[in-house]
Order: sequence, then structure tokens, then C-alpha cells
Amino acid sequence: MTDLPRHSLQRRLLLSMAAGFAVLLILISLLLWTYARSAANRTHDLLLAGAALSILERVSVGPDGATVDMPYSALEILSLNPVDRVQYRVFVPGKAEITGSEDLPFPTNGELAAEPAFYDSDYRGAAFRFVLQGRRLNAPTGAEWVAVQVGQTVEQRASQQWSFFLSGLSGLGALSLIGLGFVWVAIRTSLSPLRQIAGDLRLRAPNDLSPVKGAPPREIRGLFDAINGFITRLDQSRTLTETFIADVAHQTRTSLSAVQGHLALAVDAQDFDGMRARVERAERQADRTVRLTNQLLANAMVIHRSDHASMHPVALKSLVRDTLAESLRDSRMRKIALSLDDEGITPGRDLIQADELSIREALRNLIENAVRHGPPNNTVTITLDEADEKLRLSVDDAGPGIAESDMMQATERFTSLSDKTKGSGLGLSIVKAVAEGHDAELLLRRSSLGGLNVTMIFKRLMASFLLILGLGVAGSKAQAQTLRIYSATDTVAMQPLIDAFIDSAPGTEVEYVEFQTIDLYHRILESDPDDMPDVVISSAMDLQVDLVNRGLAQHVFVPVDVRPPDWAVWRSELFGFTFEPTAVVYDRRAISADELSANHRDLATFVRNNETRLRGRIGSYDLRQSGVGYLYASQDSLQGPQSQRLIEVLGRAGLRTYCCTSKMVEAVAQGDLAFAVNTIGSYASTLAEGIPHVGLHFFEDYNLVMTRTAFVPASARNPVLAAGFVTFLLSDRGQHAIAQRTPLIPIRLEGAIDTKIERLTREKRSTFLPIKLTPALLTFLDALKKQDFLSVWDTSLASLP
Amino acid sequence: MRILLVEDNDELAETIVDRLRAEGHSVDREGDGNEANELLRHVTFDIVLLDVNLPGRNGYDVLRSLRARSDQTPVIILTARSQIDDRVLGLDAGADDYMIKPVDFRELSARCRVLARRRSGSASNVFTVGALNFDRAAKRATIHGQDAQLRAREVQLLEIMIDNLGRMLTKEEVADRLYTFEETPSMNAVEQLVTRLRKKLEGTHLVIKTARGLGYMAYVSDDD
Repeated sequence: MTDLPRHSLQRRLLLSMAAGFAVLLILISLLLWTYARSAANRTHDLLLAGAALSILERVSVGPDGATVDMPYSALEILSLNPVDRVQYRVFVPGKAEITGSEDLPFPTNGELAAEPAFYDSDYRGAAFRFVLQGRRLNAPTGAEWVAVQVGQTVEQRASQQWSFFLSGLSGLGALSLIGLGFVWVAIRTSLSPLRQIAGDLRLRAPNDLSPVKGAPPREIRGLFDAINGFITRLDQSRTLTETFIADVAHQTRTSLSAVQGHLALAVDAQDFDGMRARVERAERQADRTVRLTNQLLANAMVIHRSDHASMHPVALKSLVRDTLAESLRDSRMRKIALSLDDEGITPGRDLIQADELSIREALRNLIENAVRHGPPNNTVTITLDEADEKLRLSVDDAGPGIAESDMMQATERFTSLSDKTKGSGLGLSIVKAVAEGHDAELLLRRSSLGGLNVTMIFKRLMASFLLILGLGVAGSKAQAQTLRIYSATDTVAMQPLIDAFIDSAPGTEVEYVEFQTIDLYHRILESDPDDMPDVVISSAMDLQVDLVNRGLAQHVFVPVDVRPPDWAVWRSELFGFTFEPTAVVYDRRAISADELSANHRDLATFVRNNETRLRGRIGSYDLRQSGVGYLYASQDSLQGPQSQRLIEVLGRAGLRTYCCTSKMVEAVAQGDLAFAVNTIGSYASTLAEGIPHVGLHFFEDYNLVMTRTAFVPASARNPVLAAGFVTFLLSDRGQHAIAQRTPLIPIRLEGAIDTKIERLTREKRSTFLPIKLTPALLTFLDALKKQDFLSVWDTSLASLP
Repeated sequence: MRILLVEDNDELAETIVDRLRAEGHSVDREGDGNEANELLRHVTFDIVLLDVNLPGRNGYDVLRSLRARSDQTPVIILTARSQIDDRVLGLDAGADDYMIKPVDFRELSARCRVLARRRSGSASNVFTVGALNFDRAAKRATIHGQDAQLRAREVQLLEIMIDNLGRMLTKEEVADRLYTFEETPSMNAVEQLVTRLRKKLEGTHLVIKTARGLGYMAYVSDDD
């Protein structure tokens, strides 16, 4: 039928069917959404319930009332969900807080019971899902309830809900598509009569304008009739055109015959005066023929151009001015008082969609009419004004005008109302054709000047042609940006990295502030949101996880190809960028490599057997002073009872504690220590360089691996630059810089870089046990848990025989 | 007057030649663009009537090479095309006037007369229209040999109008050319000035026509 798909009937039917399916899909998806939510809730509630149970299990009654020993497994269970932040609280309702965040929201209508109660609530600006579960304990003061409340943000739940929802929906979608396919087939079949009509029309000779024959089905009867109606009208229109051509032929031939006649008579004239009179009439007739021909051509041109896409935005005001100035050149205009009134139009608001040539022709014809039909000193006034969204162009003259009764007729072709002036009868019909071609209204009235008023009313073009100027927002001001980094890493280690970053981002300034891990943690906790640094870097993974768990960090989109391994990323907010195994640093003069044991258990045995020799000559971190030391010790404690035994043995052998790896290496180098455990291997390796009697030792069972982490605070002032810095740390350039210019080991590019520590650690890679960045690290930050852990530690150290 | 008609249609050419000769002009006719060009190199005419569609070289090219030789002979373009581009092209190429075929002979001879009256030789710096004589260098106008007694502003206006013969100038354009930035031109003053000058030019063939809302146009009338 038609080659324009947007007019396709088939498509329209399909679209309405598709709309129906869509409504159905929306209804079903509402149900699906609710279902997906409860399914996602069930899954996550299980985790919460598990965590709550494992905490409740460790609730006991101590001398001071109820207490809890936070199990590592509780938060580890919650870490099965790799995304969400966690909160917990253990308390005796109405009496005492035991541990955790005291301000967690209580369910609005909840009663504490032994059964877990789940509810959604907002906590510190984030949506959380909580579980509340209680346990009755028999305390010396009588039975009392201890409540455990565990909460987790709902990001993972929401994404799971989406994925349930989407997978359900995609099945339904596929089903709908298949349904639509059937609809399509049905539509095609039922539309086949239309194709028959199309075939009939296509095979027709161009001059065959007889109606289409056939018995169409009821549904397309209307269309069928319309086509036949159109064919009839086309036939009429063709007849009209034929009439026009016949008219034109008649008019020109008549006109030319008259010229010819007068000239023939002139030739035959007997006397000179008679001949002269004939010739003068022939000349006047020739004049009219010329004008007729001109106007016929103008008429044809105007009609032709209205069929074609010659329309474009035209400023009417200047077009009218030009045309008038142009027509004034005619010597017949010398006595005519021509004036233009365009004061009623605001400059720039005179745009219409028009064909200049046609408008010019129409205006010229109107003026010529006034000149031709009026007195030699006629007054012609052209007025341009605007009304609402229309532009009015009117021509008034003081000539004889047209009687009201003739006005309708005046615009018809070949209707000249005046015999005296012998117009061609085409002038106004040209104007009419132009008006029609421009979708303009044409009005003929009596003018206030006494003659005729012809008004064309055009639709004004809207301001859509205003130029939208590029505002040139200066997104890349050359102004220097300052990146503020708070870091618990020696400036010496970081300086080369920062230099490399500035090289890759010229115009950047970096303000680097160095802290101890615990100081940094407190500084960030206490900082005003307006006073946050742009990047926070620390080796204390647990403290960093805690800060991020409090919602203080923002997402950083790191390209997939530079993402660190999964264990070193949490929530796309916290990124580990180094690989730092613990190592034993020893003095070769005091102890031989062979004596150092292959695993932790043997080390405990070795120390106990050589207690006198090693007394006061073993070093490790001071857990109260060093965040990394505490992290190492607490992670060691998870590896089994041998770690507790090792601490006791080391304590009995007079373990000496230090703030940092550098002091331990120094003590070993000076011979104060025989060896130091849990030093940061990469640092130690660099510090021991050039001191031949200081060696590094790794265990065969496991060696903890820490990673230095970075995050961008939520209220960072230069988040884009900060994200750029984090990405740089992980990029190939950044990682190479870490390997070659700092004492640290890069987390990516394993084996691709050849450095001393890299060689040293390469064959041990399988024994390395990375500490994972998960909320489970929060277990040992629990105030009660930490207190317990440190008191056990103190006891061990004090257990000198 | 010595007129060159460049027209390739013999019938039309003949009628024009006869008409102009009947008016007492001496008329040469050329039918080929190249030959017309050659002729114009060596012979000086008072007016050239130039058809656009010519064998050899079209009318615009002939006109352009004429003007390129700094020949200021008045040229009227004759064209059968009514499209506006032709007009602009013709006037830009340096034509003094143009007419659309079929040409009304009375109009044609009137325009020839106008051009003939307007002997604005750039060499002489003197503009003459019938009885009116304007010396650009001396800034002096005479009518029938008598000083027209124009004031400085009127002389300025006269010069502007002569420079733009047959062209519509808006009131603002006139004011712009008359006054400097420091002077605040009032449109009333322009109107009064035009009225005064028009009065003083009465009886000459230079007419300043006012079209309200459009501006002023000076033309040379051919009424005798």
C-alpha cells in the first residue's frame, strides 16, 4: 500500500496489541515486584537471623551482669553479602547497653521475644533491614532479657530484588513477543484484501480513472469507498486542469488573434490615419497579451512552487520592503503615493515559512492591480502587523475597489471585473494561489481609503529559530586543584607516588598529611563534613572498613581492568592497592635461618625450648599503639589455638613491643633483638637493605597479607580528582611506580615486576593469606571484644615466671 | 546619442533599433557576446543595451569586463528572466538599470533618456541632469546656470541622493550618512531637510520621491 512504515496499518494494529500486552505486563510486574521483594527479604533475613543467633549464643552472665564475646562468625556471616554495611547492638532493654551502636532504631510496635523480628528502618540516612531477637538469661538478680539487634543496609537486597524481578519479567516479555508474533501473522492474513487493491492500482494505466472493482470485506469497505472517491475527485481535478489549459489556450489565442486581426486590417487600410488607428489598437492588444502571458507564467510558477519544498523561514518585513523599493522603480509609480506601515511589528518577530518569490509575486500583483485599476495619483498603503501568532500583510488603495457582491468572484481565474481596464483576470487569482500555498487566510474588503483592501494572514514562525548559543561552561579551568590526602603511610613511601600522579595530571597540587593509623581514624570520625580530605589512606584495614561501614565513603568507579582482586575491594568504595605480607626479621648472628621454624606451632615450641637464650630478644608490635599490630594479632587469633599459645610463649620469653616496623628492624640490626614477628615485610626488606646480618623469614603454614587501602570521603571537596588519584594508584603506571619507587609491593601486576622483595615473596605466594576487606573485620573493633583481646594479651605479656 | 544594442534575436533587435533610430539616436547592433566585447574595447558609446543570453559570451561577462576596464558607460540589462537573482547579479556586475522582456518601448526610451541626462562623468566630477548641474569638487549646485543657494547640509543630502539614484534609502540610512556620531540626528530634521531640498530642486529633472514608511528615492524624471 504505502512505503512509509509509520503509516502502516499493520504496524498500528501491532502497536495497539503491544500496548495491550504492555498494560498486562505492568499489572503482572506489580505482583512480581512484591514477590521479588519478599523473596529477597527472606534470603537476607536468613543472614541477619544467623548473625543474631551466633551473637546470642555468646551472651553470658558475668559478675557485672550480662556480657557478650562477639563471635567472629557473626559478622563473617553478614560478609557473605559482599556489599552492605552492617550495624549491631547488644543490650539489656531499659537497663544497660552492652556493646555496639546504641542509637539503632527500635521497631515501632515490636515486642522483644525469643523469636527474631525483622523490620525495615532508616539509620543515619541509609535504609537498613534489622533483626531483633532476645534471650532470657538467669542473672544473679533474677531472669533478664538480653536483646541483640543486627542490621544491614539494603543495597544488595534491592539489587537482588531487581534481578528476581527482571528475570521474571524477561520471561514474560519473551512470552509477550511470541504472542505479538502470532498477532502479526493474523494481521497479515486479514490484511490481504488490501494488497489485492494495491495490486489492482499498481497495474493500472495512468489514464485509467475508473473505480476499483471488487467485493471488499466489511472492515475495509470504508477505505475501499474512499479510494474510489479519491479516484473520482482525481478525475474531476484532471478535468479542471484540462479546462484550465483550454482556457489558457483560448485566452492567449484570442488575444493573439486580436493583435493579428488589427495588424491585418492595418495592412489593408486605405489611408494612413485608418492604418495608424488600427496599429495603435494592435499595440494596446499586444500589451495586454504580454501582461496576460506574464501573469499566466506567474500563476503557473506560484502553483508549481507551492507543490515543491521551496518553503523556508523568511523575514517578511525586509521582503516587503525590498519588493516595494523594487516596484517603485517603475515609471508608472511616479505619481502613486505608496507608503508602508510596519510599525506594528517587533523586529525579529516577522518570520514566516514562505517562498520568497511567490510572496513577491503576490505583492507585486496587488500593487499592479491598484495602479492599473486606480487613478494615476492613487494612494497605496501596505500594512504589516502582528496579532497573536499571526502576521497580517494588507494592501489598501484609494481606487474604485470591488463591489461587495463581486468579491467572491474576484479571485477566480480569468474573471476581470472591469471592462475598461481590461485586466487579465489573473492578478487576484495569483494572490489566492499564493495564500493557499502558504496556508494563509485571504480577505477582500472595502478599504478605509475607499478602494480595495486585500489582507493575507500568515502564521508566524515561533522562536524555535533562536540560536542556542553554546555557553562554553568552563569545565576544564586551568586553575590548579589541590588534592588533600590524609594518610597513615610514611611520606617517603608515598612521595614518589604523588610525584608520579602530578606528572600524569599537570596543574594538580597535593597536600599530604601524615598520621598514625589510630590518630587518622579518630581524625576522620571527628572531622566536620566540610573539612574532610579528598582521599584517606591507611594500612589499618579494620579501621578503614569501620569508616566505610559508617557510610563516610563514596563510590569510585574504577575501570574493570585495573580493579584489584576481590578480597581487596569492598563496596566499590574501599580499595586495596598494595600487597604486604608479614615477615619475621631476624639477626643472622643471633639465630640461624634453619633454627627459625617453618610454621607458627614450631616457632612456639622453639621459643619455649630456648627461653633463656631468647629472653627479652623477641619483638613485635605494641597492640595498643599500632593499628596494624592489632590487626595482625587479631587475625592470627582466628587461625587456631596455636596463635594463643605462641602469644603466651612469647610473653613468657619477655616479648618487647614496638610502635612500628622500622623500630623493630633497627633493634634487630643493632643486635638488641634476635628476631621480630609480624613486621611489614616490604618495609623491613627495604630497611634491611645493605645490612647483611639482617634477614627476612616467611612461614610455611601461613603469612598474613595486609593491603593498604584508600577511599574517597563522601564529602570530599574534589571527588573527581580524588577518584582519579585512586584509579591512578591501581593503574599500571601507579602500580609500576609502587614497585620501582617505593618500598611497597603492588597488588596487581603479580610477577610482572622484578624487585628484590618481589623475588623474595614470589615462591611463597601460595602461603600468603590475605586479610579480606569485609565487615567481619569489625568484630575485633567491638569495644568488649577488643577489651577482652587486649586483656588476654596483657596477661600473656605479664606472665613472666 | 550613440547607443549599442547587443541582442541576438533579429526580430526584436530590429524593432528596438528602428525605434531608437526614429528618436534620433545612432544605434549599432551586435548579436554575439564576444564581438560586442571586442567592439566595446575600441569604440565608446553613450549607452549600452545588453541582452543576457548571448552566443559567445553572456551579457554579465561582457558587462564585467567592461567595468574591469574602468569604462563607466551606462548599461541597461535586458533579460527575459524575472528571477531576482538575475537582478542582483546584473546590478552587482555594474549595470545601471535593467528591464524585463517583453520590453515596453516607451519605458525603454524613457530610461535611455534618464541615463543620457545623467552624465555623471567621474572624471569631470560634475553631475548634470537637464538644467541641474552639481559640481562635486566645489560642492556647488546650479540650476539654469544660477547658483541653487544650497546650505551645507542640503549639498550633502543632494550628493547622497545623486550617489543613490533609483535606490530606496530609509530615513535612518540618510541620517547615518548626514550626521556624525556626536550629532544626535532627529528624524524630523531629516524630513525637513528633504522637503527644503525638494523645493529648491523644483523645476529640475531630479525628483526626490518620499514613500512613507519606506524612505526616499531620487530619480530623474523624463517628463519634458
